[in-house]
Amino acid sequence: MPKRYDQARPFLTLGFVVAAWLVIPTVFKTFTRASFFELTAPVGVAASYARDLQEYWTLRLHSNGELIEAGRDLARLNASYDLAVQQNIEMQGEIARLEGILRLPSYTGFRSEHARVVRRDFSGWWQRLTIRKGKNYNLNVGAPVVFSGGVVGRVSEVFAYTATVDLISSQTVRLAAVVEGDTRPISYQGGLNPTFGSAGGVIEFVPLDIFASANSTKRLVTSGLGGVFPPGLTIGSVIKVEPSTDGLFKSGEVKLDERLAALTEVTVLLTIETP
Amino acid sequence: MLRLILILLSTLLLWAVSAQINHALAPWRLYVFVGALAVTLPALTFSLRTGLLASFLGGLLFDAVAPVTFGTHAFLFALTHAVVFNLRDRLPRDDTLSRVLIALFANLGLFLVFSFSQVARSPAPASLWPRLFADLACSQILLALIAPWFFAIQARALALTDHEANRFA
Repeated sequence: MPKRYDQARPFLTLGFVVAAWLVIPTVFKTFTRASFFELTAPVGVAASYARDLQEYWTLRLHSNGELIEAGRDLARLNASYDLAVQQNIEMQGEIARLEGILRLPSYTGFRSEHARVVRRDFSGWWQRLTIRKGKNYNLNVGAPVVFSGGVVGRVSEVFAYTATVDLISSQTVRLAAVVEGDTRPISYQGGLNPTFGSAGGVIEFVPLDIFASANSTKRLVTSGLGGVFPPGLTIGSVIKVEPSTDGLFKSGEVKLDERLAALTEVTVLLTIETP
Repeated sequence: MLRLILILLSTLLLWAVSAQINHALAPWRLYVFVGALAVTLPALTFSLRTGLLASFLGGLLFDAVAPVTFGTHAFLFALTHAVVFNLRDRLPRDDTLSRVLIALFANLGLFLVFSFSQVARSPAPASLWPRLFADLACSQILLALIAPWFFAIQARALALTDHEANRFA
């Protein structure tokens, strides 16, 4: 083979490989992707179990005095939660009664599925979590994921015994939100992830009469529109709004909860099928 | 075939190590990418067909755990492989230091090309670059630190299948 063509041989081979890859059926690619993912899954799951074991042995080192103190605090917390549950039941009954009188469509019901975090994958390109539950717990794509501080994200892929969650700080997540106390929907999108800083997102289509700054933040919550997230869950704090270029709306920035970057357990909300 | 499997297993090990490091670095919003390590040794020592296949399959492994079009990493790894393979006769490639330098340049190229392919999805692309440069700096430092260990593991694994053990070492 002449030297000129010999030098191009790696690129010709690469071109052939790419051309072959492009004509391969999607079914084959989907199967290959799932296979490769399942090949890597045990590595992450084993590491997460090892971390849990490490945490267990660390907790075993606590003294009895500390455990008694923690138990007492927990008992107080349980008592206040018991009260909240009673109030909640009463309010749900009231909602059902009003829905019946006014003939309103009922709210979507959710059941909670707690899951341990296997892997955090927070690059500048995307922010994702892998959790230790998947098809084995009937998780489904698009299910909202929450924690005590509000929204975590939504399930993007479900595998045999793991699932991946796109975080709200990820640029792939976009949802309808409202400023607390207001009913007009705003578009939220993740994507601001500075090094050593809090993650954030951007908001668009903010009404002109809404003001917020770093000193006077506003709480951004889910709107409930679209039916994926229940309404009223905290997304973050609006720290900046300024008029957008069209002058019709404002756009701004949202600071997300710092705990999002160190989550070890999350809750997946699964829709309860109504008969 | 056995050499291909060994290279794939070493890529899996590389992915596992970097995944655990990224898990630990997440609270500081730092991320490391050392994908070029999976490409360097096959590109410098393997035949074109076997090396390209190893790099392509290694890329598919990275693709499977990333929210990108399946084949993106595979294509970039294969492209890097083709470039390094094309240059390998003109590069010193027998000592570890040269291999580390080649891996550093390959990783720089891979990181930047991949970033350009992803940055368009961001709502504020300009604000993304400082973060990406910080990640790139961390990635290059980590790569320089673990490359000799990783090449040694690959060489030892390949030596099991080859009587000419010095070829990879």
